[in-house]
Amino acid sequence: MLKFIPLKAQAGFTGFESPSAEYTQLDLDLGQLLIDHPTATYIGYAEGQSMVDAGIYSGDLLIISRAEKVKNNDIVVANLNGVFVVKRVDKPNRRLLSAAKGYAPYSLQSGDEFQIEGVVTRSIRLHRPLKATL
Amino acid sequence: MYALCDVNSMYASCEKVFDPSIRNRPVVVLTNNDGQICAACGIAKKMGIGKKFVPFFQVRYELEKAGAVIRSSNYELYAALSQKLMDTCSQFAPHSHIYSIDECFLFYGKHATYVPPEGWAKHASDIRRTVWREVRLPIGVGIGQTPTLAKAANHAAKRIKGYNGTAVIDDNRTRKHILANMSVTDVWGIGRRIGARLNAQGITTALQLANQPPRLIRKQFSVLVESTVHELNGRVMLNWDEVRAPKKEIYSSRSFGQRITEALQLRYALAAHVEIASAKLRKQGGLAASMTIFATSSPHDSNEYYRKAVFHRFVVPTADSRLIMAACTQAIDTIFKEGIRFYRCGVGLLDLCDANNYQFDLFAQTTDDPNFMKIMDSINQKYGRGTVYVASRGVEHKFAMRREFLSPQYLTRWADLPRAYCI
Repeated sequence: MLKFIPLKAQAGFTGFESPSAEYTQLDLDLGQLLIDHPTATYIGYAEGQSMVDAGIYSGDLLIISRAEKVKNNDIVVANLNGVFVVKRVDKPNRRLLSAAKGYAPYSLQSGDEFQIEGVVTRSIRLHRPLKATL
Repeated sequence: MYALCDVNSMYASCEKVFDPSIRNRPVVVLTNNDGQICAACGIAKKMGIGKKFVPFFQVRYELEKAGAVIRSSNYELYAALSQKLMDTCSQFAPHSHIYSIDECFLFYGKHATYVPPEGWAKHASDIRRTVWREVRLPIGVGIGQTPTLAKAANHAAKRIKGYNGTAVIDDNRTRKHILANMSVTDVWGIGRRIGARLNAQGITTALQLANQPPRLIRKQFSVLVESTVHELNGRVMLNWDEVRAPKKEIYSSRSFGQRITEALQLRYALAAHVEIASAKLRKQGGLAASMTIFATSSPHDSNEYYRKAVFHRFVVPTADSRLIMAACTQAIDTIFKEGIRFYRCGVGLLDLCDANNYQFDLFAQTTDDPNFMKIMDSINQKYGRGTVYVASRGVEHKFAMRREFLSPQYLTRWADLPRAYCI
């Protein structure tokens, strides 16, 4: 199961000793904020430069929802011939678009193995490395 | 009505969820310590490779030649995906029962005339499609008036021509058609021995069994087989807790009558599941190498949905309630959260092996006490379940085991999160 709890955000209560256990309920949980469909959501890393103009850099965390309906121009993770790729979908033209200079659009061919795995609902920049993965 | 949802080749299918490069390739999964084959995906089965329980070293060359992808059992991943599967399925019905790591029953209430607004056939395919879309696991869905008929419908969904992954037994004509096309040994609860005796009497199809006089069947076989006859005719006889455990893994889980909000209550509930599951494990002469412990709030309560599962691996495979309970007790701190109204909890014993054939490690000696457990079981059998049970104690060990072909723990380790490429 995805573990969301270790990424807890404190809502400015630091400095106060919490007077009762009830306070634990006031902790804000990033998972709760960022993840709309916990059972259908997974987390991954972005790797590569092709989406930088959409604000996704190599090493960013991606929150990917399989519950979301895919709309035109959504950023998605898709299985393209056995590799998970991050792309913008151009539904009417059946194309996958990158968001960086030098990356041409990819037109889907009939022989391609292609499935949309989920919609990228958030991306998170890690300005310092995550402790949990060191 | 009841629905049974189960995953096609669970372990092999799980390996494909986060590794798209192997989705169209034959995948074979090995048991504990990479000893034997324990699962093969549909593609591998079609190629005639990956027969279960064959020692790996015997077929290694053959598998490599066929281009098969070989994986060690990644129970951390399977347990996490199982949890997602169960969460997703349980949204479709008011009651659900986790039967094994890859199977769950849904129960729609006692009103025999209840039909969901979209109709049963559409309902079944909605469950199947949703699980594929949201969890990426392929499942079959069978719906019927009793658990045994749901199981039969599920069999039809996968094996009988004309059904593509879903089947509904909601009228007599379909019931007869499916049961007539199903061999009696495929009926839930009819083992090989009883099956052979039935065959000897000329009863070869499920429909023939259904048409036997129940009393006569009880005389010749047992009350259990009599129940099966009733169930095949649409009369509900089975109760969740009496349902037989499957061989590969044992789950005990249920929802509470009232919501639980205290850690101690949760612990008592989990302790009861440990007792049930470990007694079943000992009865089939098994040892468990790992377990999953879980608790959730209700997806039907208005509050936010909470779910938490902990995976535990035993140093040495065990069937000792005390060791299993100790692992469970440690997990409670992680699972319990103040303010959550717990709706369901349970344990699953995974990675089972046969106690008689298990080769113990020189450096990891068992601390099980089979004689003590035997006494416990016989007391409980005589005086009723729960007459004696364990108070908990804490143990923690490290372990080492052979998992040469292990895939990453995509869902349970931060360092193992899947990669998506911006290329």
